[in-house]
Amino acid sequence: MGSLAVRSAVLLLLLLALPLALGEYWAFQLGLFFLYAIAALGVALCWGQAGFLPLGQALFVGLAAYLSGAALIQWGEAWWVFLLLPFAALAAGALAFLLGLIIFRGRSESGPYFAIITLAISLLAFQVANSWNEVTGGYNGMKGIPGLPGLEGFSDVYYLAAVALACAVALCGWLVQAPLGTLWRAIALNERRVAYFGYDTAMLKAIAFGLSGVLAGIAGALYAPQQGLVTPELVGFALSADLVIWVAVGGRKRVLGPVLGVVLVGILSAELRERTYYWDLIVAAGFVFVVLYASGGIGALLAPLERLLPGRRKALEPLRAPAPKAPRTAVTLAIEGVSAAAGEVRILDRLSLAIARPGIYCLIGPNGAGKTSTFNMLTGELRAQAGEVRLDGDTLSKPTPYRLARRGVGRKFQIPSVFGELSIDENLRIALWSGRTSLLDWLRPAPRRWDTPVLAALRGRYPFLDDGARLASALSHGERQVLELSMALVTEPRLLLLDEPCAGLSGEETAQVMAVIRWARDTLGLSVVIIEHDMALVKQLAEHVFVLHQGRLLAEGDVAAIRSDPRVHEVYVGAAE
Amino acid sequence: MDPLLVTQALNVLYEVVTLAVIVLGLAIVFGLLGVMNLAHGEFIALGAYVAYVCQSLGLPYLAAVPAAIAACALLALPVERFLIRPLYDRPFDTLLATWGLSLFMRKAIEIGFGGGYKSLKIPVSDSVLVLGAPFPAYRVLLMALCAVLIAALLLWYRRSVAGARVKAMVGNRELAQAVGIRTDRLARDTFVVGLCFAGLAGVMVAPLVSVQPYMGLDYVLRSFFVLVVGGLGSPLGLLSGAAAIGGVESAMSALVDRTAGYSTVLLIAIFFLWRRPHGIFGRS
Amino acid sequence: MTTSPARRKFLIASAAGTALIGAPAFIRDAGAAKDFKIGMFYAIAGPAANLFGPTQKACAELAVEQINAKGGILGRRVQLLFANGDAAVADATKSAVRMLLEDKVDFFLGSHNSAVREALVATIKARVPYVYTPIYEGGECSPNTYVIADTPRQQMETVLPWLHKKAGYKSVYLIGNDYVWPQVTNKYAKGIFKKLGVNVLGEEYVPLGAPNKFEEAVTRIKGAGPGLVLITLVGGDNVNFNRTFAGFGLDKNILRVSSLLEENTLLGIGAESSSGLYGCMSYYSSVDTPAHRAFKAAYRKKYGDKAPILGLIGVDTYAGVKFVEAVVTKAKANTAAKVKSAANGITFASATGTMTMRNRHVDKDMYLAECKGTEFQIVETFSNVKSGQTCT
Repeated sequence: MGSLAVRSAVLLLLLLALPLALGEYWAFQLGLFFLYAIAALGVALCWGQAGFLPLGQALFVGLAAYLSGAALIQWGEAWWVFLLLPFAALAAGALAFLLGLIIFRGRSESGPYFAIITLAISLLAFQVANSWNEVTGGYNGMKGIPGLPGLEGFSDVYYLAAVALACAVALCGWLVQAPLGTLWRAIALNERRVAYFGYDTAMLKAIAFGLSGVLAGIAGALYAPQQGLVTPELVGFALSADLVIWVAVGGRKRVLGPVLGVVLVGILSAELRERTYYWDLIVAAGFVFVVLYASGGIGALLAPLERLLPGRRKALEPLRAPAPKAPRTAVTLAIEGVSAAAGEVRILDRLSLAIARPGIYCLIGPNGAGKTSTFNMLTGELRAQAGEVRLDGDTLSKPTPYRLARRGVGRKFQIPSVFGELSIDENLRIALWSGRTSLLDWLRPAPRRWDTPVLAALRGRYPFLDDGARLASALSHGERQVLELSMALVTEPRLLLLDEPCAGLSGEETAQVMAVIRWARDTLGLSVVIIEHDMALVKQLAEHVFVLHQGRLLAEGDVAAIRSDPRVHEVYVGAAE
Repeated sequence: MDPLLVTQALNVLYEVVTLAVIVLGLAIVFGLLGVMNLAHGEFIALGAYVAYVCQSLGLPYLAAVPAAIAACALLALPVERFLIRPLYDRPFDTLLATWGLSLFMRKAIEIGFGGGYKSLKIPVSDSVLVLGAPFPAYRVLLMALCAVLIAALLLWYRRSVAGARVKAMVGNRELAQAVGIRTDRLARDTFVVGLCFAGLAGVMVAPLVSVQPYMGLDYVLRSFFVLVVGGLGSPLGLLSGAAAIGGVESAMSALVDRTAGYSTVLLIAIFFLWRRPHGIFGRS
Repeated sequence: MTTSPARRKFLIASAAGTALIGAPAFIRDAGAAKDFKIGMFYAIAGPAANLFGPTQKACAELAVEQINAKGGILGRRVQLLFANGDAAVADATKSAVRMLLEDKVDFFLGSHNSAVREALVATIKARVPYVYTPIYEGGECSPNTYVIADTPRQQMETVLPWLHKKAGYKSVYLIGNDYVWPQVTNKYAKGIFKKLGVNVLGEEYVPLGAPNKFEEAVTRIKGAGPGLVLITLVGGDNVNFNRTFAGFGLDKNILRVSSLLEENTLLGIGAESSSGLYGCMSYYSSVDTPAHRAFKAAYRKKYGDKAPILGLIGVDTYAGVKFVEAVVTKAKANTAAKVKSAANGITFASATGTMTMRNRHVDKDMYLAECKGTEFQIVETFSNVKSGQTCT
């Protein structure tokens, strides 16, 4: 990532040169704001990338500040106290990661409630910091924190802060471009869908939160020696709130956005707040404006400038991707006597069906028969109250989309749910990486260049997939169906659940899709279960048909057998009472 | 009965009942309309400051009631039009926008009235004997008023036609529109009513608390916690949440101290937010 | 790597941007370098700003006007530079650094709470002398720091025994905000109570800056039934507590002493809640001395009818500025060593008379006042009460 290194180096040089132009006092002031900017980068990582807003980041800043302060008071003379500071930051990050994991595993969405949870936790921490006199010094704070050895001047910490900021910007730039960044952005768009690709989204979000905690911790660890005093105010609501405002106004999706926000809004506030009372009103109004009309913040306005920056992206040479980690054997699925209800409505009524060999199976039945519900039951959206499901002989208890995906079960939804604001390439990559990558892979740039024969073949069949940089939202409905199907196939599943894959497609497109399904069955040896209403399609594709009625299996067999089954006739056409 | 115990019990009751009235506005706006209004506390503050102004002008205290309602309604209308309505299906952005509004209002109050606290004279300043223990008369009056207000509101919601319309809109917006209910107008009116209740609550508690620009922050947080714990969209939820939060905080404050009380409230809120965000009585 | 045209443009643009940001530093006022600058921290904006701010500024400026009329300090015109002391600690620190590095002040004057004081002491690092003026808890012996604030000894050693002799209370309840000043004051008071044979029934702290309500505390006090309540609450909490206290009818049987109770706070408490409330400080606006009458006349002359209400927190800045004048004139410099030797034993003017500095603290006259309505009635004067501090 040469361009990233160059850009960061340029930034660092600029920052280091500033005090020469501005003087010692500005260096002191800016040093503090650089620390805030590092914490703000963490907020932007969570909010702009992964789509959840932490409203209590000051908790981690304060925690690291108290730890760092205590360490400096205890061992401030020693030269190696420098090495303790990163530990303070890591401690904050570890707490953030743990909290994130607990919260995200406990609930599956990360909207406003997560924000309020983090707020409440930081308020609680403030209460603790304020009253735990023995450890934190209570309201009076932790006093007498010496400066870092060798850095006792007012502006000395500035240089350390500048280096830390440049490193933080580089780190965030790296993460945004790494596979992890793509996964985060996908989670922000549609978390459920990401889970269906076999990603532990709670873990991914917790990683983002943990990293933001580390960044906040770096800010806190350097805050203590710079200020010489840590008070509970640092943990309080004011700083958390300011961080959010700076990130919102500066722009949360661009890496430099938070830095711009802190520098522009933060410094202007500090200077102007004492000159005019109306400044805070202006900031508040500006914040509301940004929320209503300009959610990209200043960073979005400056996006065109980014093209001037050095570093063109070279064309990427493809790499052969590793094989999927899921077992490659043919899948067997046995559903026995499963019942599920929602309130008083019986959705599935002692449903039993089995799949023992690879092939194309079709699930048909009138509306409300329970076809989509069967899929939902398999992937865990619908809780079964009775009966058993066995996948490869193992009983499936408490299925989740994530767990099913890991075992090679893929699903395509009726309404195409591709990640609209990501490019075609990114959509395909997310599918490609599922089941093949580990945490370390997510940090490397190499997986972006992966290719597989399946993907190559799909690109051959559907040339529009080659236009990789195009946004998925710019595709037509038919193209989106194909993209989603391709994504499902690229994961090389053993069992593929397709919910009306040809809905909304033209005749020609339908034929193509059918060809792809057949091709996939031949090359990948998978079992495909298709929910379909169009009998013509069923006739052409199905090797075996299941007919569902009122939550139960009414009949099964090959197409000819089904067509001649009187019970099926009755259900579709109506009984002669 | 031990007068001390009676006083403590009355303190708890006072805390619970006034909390219910303070939350009432947010219960309407958040519980019914789903709008996370972080400026709720500032409207309470607005009511309190209107009461202060009325008292400074020498008007009888009751004059503050229509004045506060008018002030809140006047402010609520443009807020609904320009801040809330465009963001109806973006709950996150509503949270942020109303928060920006609360910052703005707080600063405006600070600029207008200064950063210090204002003291209001208590309208009724004697004490009455309740079960043998003297208790300030205004607090007793307040408790009675709050109870009447909540009961009246519940009755209205259950029995009246307007209440039924609101329930319809909340249950299924498109269907309500289909049967001819002007949901736009109804949502706007409901929002304004909710904020007027906030202002009214401000008038009621103003003589008993420190009236200063930052008073709203505490109220809005507490209100959210009450709704999260008790459950949205149901009067039983509001009451149970107020009882839980107010009761626990008051009891812990009496047993230990205020910090312990507030910390316990935070812990309870965190637990419910994490595990049972629909609260005790909310729909899943 | 060659520098592409685009890259060059970017670098130039950022350099220009940097210069723009830095411009203010150069445009700062380079003239008036001969003025004697005092960096004053007071409540410009914040919770206490309404209460104390106007008085703090007015009294300080009155002192400066009087000094400049006599030729200034060592022939230099005195100029006050202001910064907000009622702000977050980080902001106060920043202002101090700016005053040190950019404005190059000659002396610091602070009228704010202890947390900010400690931060300022840590920041100023004794580069420039610093005088701290309002009430505090004692113990500030940092180098180049001078305190003319009332100490716990001055406040407690006077009022507590006097009330005990007059009213004979046998038990006491302590309530205050949870930070250093109330904690140390209470510790000191407990020593006095022990000597008097008074029982301490309870000691309670509420967080500072939180919206505290006092129903439960008042009920607890009622249950305990002390003869006296020693209140070390500040600001809004002081007002709230006293009103709740009277609201529950406790003021009929229980006396109260409030450590930081001045005119603005008393106004907030209101006449219906102030019976049985006492205070002891080195200034009340109703103190009657010739010096005070002259001070009030000068104050009224300068500010007329719109003059901010006089109270201890505010009037203390007047004495602070006068101290700066006296000590720098005697030392003929403002360097640490010279100021230190000049400060010991120096006498300077205050609003009500004079003060003498010993051990970098001030022995002063203390006034015991009883609240009557919204006014203070001085019931006893204690002359030249020692500060009890032993800084070297």
